[in-house]
Amino acid sequence: MTTQTDGKTELSTRLSANLDRIKRDFAYPSNEALIIRNLVVASLKCDAAVLYLEGTADVNEIEKRIIEPLIERTNTSFKNGNPLDAVRLEIVTHRTGKTACTFDAINEGLLNGWTIVLVEGVNQALKFETRGFETRQVSEPIVEHVIRGPKEAFTESAAINRSLVRKYLRDRHLVAETLTVGDRSVSEVTIMYVKDLADPNIVDSIKQRIRAVRTDAVLTLPMLEQYLDDHPYSLVPSSLNTERPDRASAFLLEGHVILLMENSPAALVLPITIWSLLHSAEDHYMRWAYSNFMRIIRLLALFVAVMTPSVYIAVATFHEEMIPTDLLLAIAATREKVPFPALLEVLLMEFAFELVREAAIRVPTVIGPTIGIVGALILGQAAVEANIISPILVVIVAMTGISSFTIPEPSLNFAVRITRFILLFVGSFLGFFGIALVIACLLAYLTTYSSYGVPFLSPLTPHYRSSADMILRMPVHKERMRPLNLNPQDSVRRPERIKKR
Amino acid sequence: MRKLKLALILPLFLVAGCWDHLELEEQAFVVVVGLDKGPGNTVEVTFQIANPQIGSSDIGTAEGEPPSDTVRFTSPDILSAKELANSVVTRTINFAHLKTMIVHEALARDEAFPHIAGAAIRDPELRREVALIVSREKAYDFIQKNRPRLETRPHKYFELMQQRWQETGFVPFSTFNQYLQQQVVDSMFLAIYATADPKNYRVSRKDDYLAGEVPKHSGDPVQMMGAAVFRNGRMIGTLTGQQMRWAQMLRHKSNIDAFITSFPDPLDERAMVTVRLFKNGGTKVRLNLAKERPDIHVTIPLRAQILSFTSLQPYATDTEKQILLERHLKEEIEQEALDVIRLSQRKFQGDLFEWELIARKQFMTMPAYQAYGWARHYRKANVKVKVDLRIENFGKQRTPYSETVKGGD
Repeated sequence: MTTQTDGKTELSTRLSANLDRIKRDFAYPSNEALIIRNLVVASLKCDAAVLYLEGTADVNEIEKRIIEPLIERTNTSFKNGNPLDAVRLEIVTHRTGKTACTFDAINEGLLNGWTIVLVEGVNQALKFETRGFETRQVSEPIVEHVIRGPKEAFTESAAINRSLVRKYLRDRHLVAETLTVGDRSVSEVTIMYVKDLADPNIVDSIKQRIRAVRTDAVLTLPMLEQYLDDHPYSLVPSSLNTERPDRASAFLLEGHVILLMENSPAALVLPITIWSLLHSAEDHYMRWAYSNFMRIIRLLALFVAVMTPSVYIAVATFHEEMIPTDLLLAIAATREKVPFPALLEVLLMEFAFELVREAAIRVPTVIGPTIGIVGALILGQAAVEANIISPILVVIVAMTGISSFTIPEPSLNFAVRITRFILLFVGSFLGFFGIALVIACLLAYLTTYSSYGVPFLSPLTPHYRSSADMILRMPVHKERMRPLNLNPQDSVRRPERIKKR
Repeated sequence: MRKLKLALILPLFLVAGCWDHLELEEQAFVVVVGLDKGPGNTVEVTFQIANPQIGSSDIGTAEGEPPSDTVRFTSPDILSAKELANSVVTRTINFAHLKTMIVHEALARDEAFPHIAGAAIRDPELRREVALIVSREKAYDFIQKNRPRLETRPHKYFELMQQRWQETGFVPFSTFNQYLQQQVVDSMFLAIYATADPKNYRVSRKDDYLAGEVPKHSGDPVQMMGAAVFRNGRMIGTLTGQQMRWAQMLRHKSNIDAFITSFPDPLDERAMVTVRLFKNGGTKVRLNLAKERPDIHVTIPLRAQILSFTSLQPYATDTEKQILLERHLKEEIEQEALDVIRLSQRKFQGDLFEWELIARKQFMTMPAYQAYGWARHYRKANVKVKVDLRIENFGKQRTPYSETVKGGD
C-alpha cells in the first residue's frame, strides 16, 4: 500500500505527528482536497482534528453529527475512561463509528468518503461513514429493454445497486460481503449471494480470485470481469453483465453469485451457462407460449447470424445444386456484371455493416441521424446499382445484421459476429464440409468450456436435473427445480403440492 | 513456440481447400440434354444451356440474347460430350441443374442405350431425379422445336411439365433414378413419351392417344402423352395415355389420386358419361404363386363423381338407373384394366405394375425369388380384376336423390 514505503503504519499518541503523517500521504497543502478541521473537544478538554476528503463526504452530515457534538457537549462525566471511546460512544451522534489503528485504514477510509477524528494522546483514530459521492438517479435500462416487467436499472452507486437488489429479493439470507481490490486506488467489490442457496465452494473460489487480483486499480466491473476470467483469449464470455436488478435477483435465486462495484451500472453474474446468455430478461414475464415463441425466434436468429454468409458462399461456389434453378439463374445473372468473387463481395458488405455498427456507437448523438442515411447508401440499392455487389447480398447481409441484433447479450453478440467471419473463410474454401468441421469444433469447445467451474452447456450436457429452462421453458408451475449444475444447497424451488384425495 | 505452431498449422487450411470452387457466373447450367444415335457407336449429345440473363432478374438483363443456347456434339458418351462442349462454350459446363434428359426413340431401342445411360450417372453432378423423356423424333429436333409460349426459361417449362403427370396420369413418373433401379433382369420401366412433331391427329372418345395424336391446333407443338415401355433398359413399345392411366391405377400405390375420363353411356350408345375417378386406398393384390400358372387377384377400390352425361338420362334421381350405371362403369373399368394387363403379358411380356414388389415378399430370400423367375411366371399368370366402385355424387352441387332420401329417414 502507499504508506508501506514509510515503513511505519501505526499511529502515534501525538496528534501533530499523526496529522503530519496524513498530510504527507495526501501531499497537503498542494492537494487541497484534504480538509483538516482542528478543534478542542469541550468536554474532554483536549485537542482533536476532524479530517475528510472534499467531494467524497457529505459536509452537512459531518457538521451536524460530528463537529457540533464535539464542540457543544460540555458534560464532563463519562462512563468510559478512554477518551476515544468517550467520543465514539457518548459524544458523537453519528450513526456509524469505528476505530482505526493504522494509517492504511485511515487513508482508505478517507478515500472512500469516511470522516476521521483524531484525538490528542490516543494512538488510534475514529472513522465515521459520511459518504457523499455524486450519483445519478435510478433510470430505465438502456441495453436490456423489456415490454413487460420493471424498468429500473442499476446506477453508478454501489449502495443504490445493493438497495435495488434487496428491494427485489427480501431474504434475510441474502449476503453482501465487501472485498477490496487495487493497490493504489482501492475499490470495493460487493459480492452478493443467498447464503443457504449458493454453493459455498463457488462463493469461496470467487472470493479467492478477487483477493488474488494484484494491480494498481480496478476502476469498474467490466475490468474486474477480465481480471477474474479464466479464459482471457476465449471468444466465449464466462460471466454476464446485467443492468437489471430483477434479472440479477433471479440469478441469485438460482444460486448464482453477483458482483457489484462502485461506478459500474451493472451487476456481474457468475458462474454462467450458455443458456443465461441466450435468455432475455423478459422470458419469464411473458406467458409460456409467448416466451417460447420468442425463444425459438431468437434461436433461429442466432443460427442465421452465425451461418448465413458462409452458407451462401459455400452454396454459391461449391454446391450450386442446392439453390432452386430460378434463384440460381437470378443470382448468376446479377453476378455477371459484378467484378469481385463472391467471397470478396460478402466481405465488403459485412465490413460495411460492421462499420455502420461501430460508427453508430461512436458517433456523437448530435450527428447521429447521418449514420442512418449514409449507411443505407452503402448497404443498399446504391451499391447494387454501382455493380459492386449483387442484390441478393443486400438481403443476406441485412438478414444477418437484423438477426445479430436479436442476441440480447453484448458479449455473445461479439462472439457470434467473430465466429461468422471464421465460418465465412472456411466456407469459402472448404464448402459445407468446412462449415460442418468448424461447427463440430465449436460444439466440442463449448462442451469443454466452463465458467467458474460450471460446465458451459450444463444442465443439458453434462446432464443435471433442472427445470429444463434451456432452449425452451416450462410453464412456471412446473419449474420446481433449481438447476443442479450450480450445486445449490436447496434444490427445490417450489415444493410439490400435496394432492388432495 | 505457440505462434510458430500456429503459423505452421494455418497454411494447412489452404492446402486442404477444395479448389474446385467456381463462381456462379463462370458456369453454364445445362437444363436439358438430348441424346440421339450418332454414326457408328457414338451418340449425338445436345445441350440446352440456360442463359441466366434472360427472364430471371430485372437488374441483370441482357437485351437481345436468347433465353437459351443449344449446342450439339457427337461423341462416345455424355461425359466426353461435356468435355467437348467446354472447348466451345465460354463457361464451365455444369450438370447440377439438369432437369430433363430427352432420348430419341431409336436410341432408346438400341442395345447400347443401357450402357450410355449407366455411364452418365458416374458423374456425381448429374442428378438422379433428372426426368427421362423419350421423343419420337430426334432429340435435337425436339429441343429446337420446343418453344413454350408461357415460359421463357426452358428449365421452368420442364419443371412444370413434369408435374403434370400427377394430375392427369397420362404420362408416368419417370426419372433417371427409376430407370437405373429397374434396369435389372426382366424388369419393366415406363418413361414419358413425347413428340414435338404432331402429325397424325385423331379424335378418340376415350382420350386414348399417343404423343402426337392429341388433336391440338395451336401453341407449342410439344405433346407429352403415353409411355415408352422399357424392358431390361431397352425400349420395346409404347402405351397410350389411357392405358398408362390404368397401369398407374393397377399399381399398389398409385401416385395419381384422381383423373377425369369418359365411358359410353349404358342406355345410349352414342352418348358418353364423364366421371372423375378417385382411388379409394391402395390397390389390393393377392398372389397365389404355388401353381405353375400363378393366380393374381387385383381389387381396385374406386370412388366416382359423375360429372356429365350427354344422354340426359335421369341417373341422379332414378336409383335403378344408378345401379345400372354403377355396374356398367365397373365392367368397363374392369375390361379396360384387363386389356392393359393382357397387353403387358403378351406384347411386353413383363409386369408393368410393380407387382413384383408384392411377389418378392412371398420368398424368404432374394436368391429364392430370383430362382422363381417372376417375369417368366407373370406371362402365364391368370389375372382377375375386380373393381370396387362407388358412385360418390353427381358433382359438387347435387347428391343423388336416393342418398338424400336415406339421409332423411
